[in-house]
Amino acid sequence: MTSLGPLHGLRVLEMGQLIAIPSAMKMLADMGAQVIRMESIHRLESYRNASLYENNSEGPFWNRGANFYEQNRNKLGLTLDLSRPEGLGLLKELIQVSDIFAENFTPRVMKSFGIEYQDLIKIRPDLIMVSSTGYGFDGPWANFGATGPATESASGMALMTGYRDDMPIMPEIPYIDYTAAEHTVFAIMSALIHRMSTGEGQFIDISQTETASATVPEALLDFIVNKRIEPRHGNDDPIMAPHGCFSCEGIDKWITIAVKTDEEWITLSKILNLSNHVDDLTKYSTVLDRLTNKDELHALINAITQSWNNHELTHILQQNGIAAGSVMESPDLLFDKHLKERSFYEIVEHHPSTGMPPLPYASRPWKFSDTPAVSPKAAPIMGQDNELILKDLLGKTDEEFQQLLDTQIIGFEPTQGTPVRAPDPDEQLRQGRMQRYDSDFKEKIRDFYNSPK
Amino acid sequence: MLDLGHYIAGPYCGKLMADMGATVIKVEPPDGEPGRHLAPFVHDKPSMESSLPFFYLNSNKKGITINLKTPNGVSLLKDLVKDTDIIIENFSPGTMDKLGLGYETLKTINSSVILVSISNFGQTGPYRDYQATEITEYALGGLMAIFGAYDQPPIKHALNQAQIKAGTNAANAALMATYWKILHETGQHIDVSIQECIAYGLRDTTSNYTYTGAVRRRQPNHSGDLTRIRQVSDGFILPNPNVNTSRGLDWDTVAKFIGSDELIDDRFSTPTARLQNAEELGEILDRSYGHQKKFETFYKAHELRFIYGIILSAEEVLENPQYLHREYFVDVEHPIAGPIKFPGAPFKLSKTPAQFNSTAPTLGQHNREIFRDVLQLTDAQITSMRSAQIL
Repeated sequence: MTSLGPLHGLRVLEMGQLIAIPSAMKMLADMGAQVIRMESIHRLESYRNASLYENNSEGPFWNRGANFYEQNRNKLGLTLDLSRPEGLGLLKELIQVSDIFAENFTPRVMKSFGIEYQDLIKIRPDLIMVSSTGYGFDGPWANFGATGPATESASGMALMTGYRDDMPIMPEIPYIDYTAAEHTVFAIMSALIHRMSTGEGQFIDISQTETASATVPEALLDFIVNKRIEPRHGNDDPIMAPHGCFSCEGIDKWITIAVKTDEEWITLSKILNLSNHVDDLTKYSTVLDRLTNKDELHALINAITQSWNNHELTHILQQNGIAAGSVMESPDLLFDKHLKERSFYEIVEHHPSTGMPPLPYASRPWKFSDTPAVSPKAAPIMGQDNELILKDLLGKTDEEFQQLLDTQIIGFEPTQGTPVRAPDPDEQLRQGRMQRYDSDFKEKIRDFYNSPK
Repeated sequence: MLDLGHYIAGPYCGKLMADMGATVIKVEPPDGEPGRHLAPFVHDKPSMESSLPFFYLNSNKKGITINLKTPNGVSLLKDLVKDTDIIIENFSPGTMDKLGLGYETLKTINSSVILVSISNFGQTGPYRDYQATEITEYALGGLMAIFGAYDQPPIKHALNQAQIKAGTNAANAALMATYWKILHETGQHIDVSIQECIAYGLRDTTSNYTYTGAVRRRQPNHSGDLTRIRQVSDGFILPNPNVNTSRGLDWDTVAKFIGSDELIDDRFSTPTARLQNAEELGEILDRSYGHQKKFETFYKAHELRFIYGIILSAEEVLENPQYLHREYFVDVEHPIAGPIKFPGAPFKLSKTPAQFNSTAPTLGQHNREIFRDVLQLTDAQITSMRSAQIL
C-alpha cells in the first residue's frame, strides 16, 4: 500500500544543519510534506563527511555519511549558494511557493543574508517561518552558538544527571537536539492549524535550551516552591528499590530492573534465589527497608545477575510482571523481534552512485492507522533534485540552469571539505571507542531483514 | 480534546494542546489519577492538590471525574466523544477495548475522531504487555548503552525524559492527523511507543553498526579531552575551544584563552600530541579551569565564538538573563496553592502565543460546568451520579 501521508500537499523549505531542524523536517517529510533541503556546495555540512559507509573516504564520500542519512530521509536536495545574489534570488522564488521555511542558524546569519521573517513575508504573506537556536532568537544570548550538550547544560537538566558524588554527565549524542526537534514540530503543526482557519502565517522562535527546561518541571518547580536543588542520584529512584542497572554475563552486558511493589520484590527474590545468597532478607521487606539499604541491596543483586544472560533474565522477569530491560546495543536493537514485528527499522535504498546496499534505519515513534508514513526514500545525494526544483518547479530554462552550474551557485559536489576517516576498527577497540565489531555485519543484516517476520 | 491520560506521557500531550488554546477536558477516576501523587509537592506536603509535576503536566485543562468502570460512566464519556476532535490515552494496551471504548467503537460515535494511544512498547508486538519504567525504557530504547562513564554502569537522565518525549511525539502525531482531518473529515487511531521515542533519536548509533559493524558503547572520556565537562570554582563548564577547524584559532590563542602558559608547548599543540600527553594536559586543564568562574568564562568564550556551554542549576535557570529577557517563566494561579511561578512554553509563536490561564484543575473542578453546561445534565442527575460514585 502506498501512502501519501497526512501532510501531503504541504511544501517546506529547509535551511537546516545537523539535527535540530533537519530531524524535525524529516518528521514532516516522513508524513508526506515535500521538504526541499538547501545546502551550499561551498560549505560542506559536517554530517556529510563523517561516519562514512565502510569508513571509506574515497570518491564522493559526501554522499555516504551516516548522520546525513539519519536526519534527511524523504527530502528533496537542492544546492544553493546564498552568499551571492543569484542564490538568494532563487531562495526567494522558493519562498513564494512554500508553506513553511525552517532554519537553525544564529540570528546574525539570517540578518546578514537579509532573509529574516519581516523580509520574507513581503514575498509570501502567509509564510510560517521557524527559527531554532540554542538560546532563542532574541535576548542577550541570541547569537551564542550552541551544541546539544550546551543546551542540555544550560537548561537545568545536566546538573541533575550523573553518578552520586561525581561530575554531571550527558549522553554521547546531542540528545536535546531531538527534544528541540519534537517541540518544533508541535509548534509548526499548531501554526499550520491556525493558518487553516485564518489564513494567517507567523514566526516561530524555538529556544532549544527552553525545550530542555520544559522537560524537567520537577526540578524547576521544586526550586521555585521548596528552594531545593536535588543532588545527582545516579540510577537511584526516590520511591523504587531495587532500581538500577546491573552487570550481566559477558563483556559490558547489563540489565535494568525497577521494582515498584512488595509483591514484585518477593517475585524477584525468588527468581534470583536471593535467600541462597543472604541469611536475612527481612531487612529488605518493605519499600522503606529497601530504600534505606539500597546500596547493599544493589550490590547483592549485582553479584547474582553477573551469571545471567541479560536478555534471558529480562524475559523471565517480564513474564513475571517485573519491569526489566537489557541495555540494548545496536545489534540488539536491529535484530530485535519486537521492533521487527513493528517494522520499526525500515529498509531504505540508497542512490546507485553511492554503492551502498539497502540498509535499515530507525523510522518514527508513531503509527497511523489510515494515513501512514510515505515509503522511505534515502536522503538526497548532493544536488540530487537540482533539476526537478529549478526547472520543473521554478521553470528555469536549460540555459539558465547551465549558467547556475557554471557559476557554482548550484553544483553536484562540494568545492571544499575533507572526509573524516575513523581509525581502523582494531585501533578503535584498543582506544575503547567501540565495544566490539562484527566483521560479518552485512550478512547478518541481510539475513535478518530478508527473512519473514 | 479528551485527555484520559494518567501520570506523565498522556498528560504532557494534553498540556501542550491546552497551552496552545485547545479545550482539553481531563478525565480522571473519582479518586484522582496517579499523577496527583508525583513528588515534589508544595512545601513538601503531599496531598491530592499539591503535586508540582501534576500542576505543570495539566496546565490549562478542565478537570472532570468519571468512573469508567461503570456502564453509566462509559456512557457519559461517549456523550463527550460526540463533540471531540482528539482523544489521548496512555492505559496499558487493550484497556480501552475492555472499557468498551476501543477505536472501532469510538468511530461509530464520532466518525472523524482521532484516538492517540501511548504505551510502553506499542499496541502490537511480542513486548506489548511488558512492564516498564523510565530506566527500562532507556535501556530497551538503546540510549543507556551510550550513556555513562566508560568503566561504570550505564546511566539514565534524571527524572522522566522518556515519558515526556512520548507526550510530545503523541501531540505531534495528533496534530498531523488533525491537519488531515480538517481537509478530509476522517480520523484515525495512532499508536505511539515510548520505547521507539527513545530508539528513533540515537543519531548514528545503529548506523555505526549497519555502516561498519561497530558496536558503540560509553566512551573513554580521557582527561585531556578539550571538550570534557570541567569543574570551575563555582560549578561546572562545558568547554568547546574551536581549535584547528575551518573557523578555528591556532593552539597558542586557545591556550591563552584557557588561561595557562604551560599549555603553549609542543607537547600539546597538535591533536596527536594532546592524545599522547593526555594525563598531563588534563591536570593543567583542571588547574586552569579550577579557579575560573563559569559565567565569566562562558561570556569570554562567546566573544571569541567558542561555543562553550554552562551548567546551570534550577536556581540559575530562574535567574538566567536570557530566560528573564524572554520571559520564559510565567505567573499562574492555583486554586489552592495560590500564585506560582511556572515554566512557560518553550516555543514562541508570534501570532498565537501560548497562554497560561491556570495550573492543573483540582479534582472534579469542572464537573458542574461540563456535565451541566455541555452534557445538559440536571443538578439532581449530577448529585445522584455522585452518590452512585459515577462522578
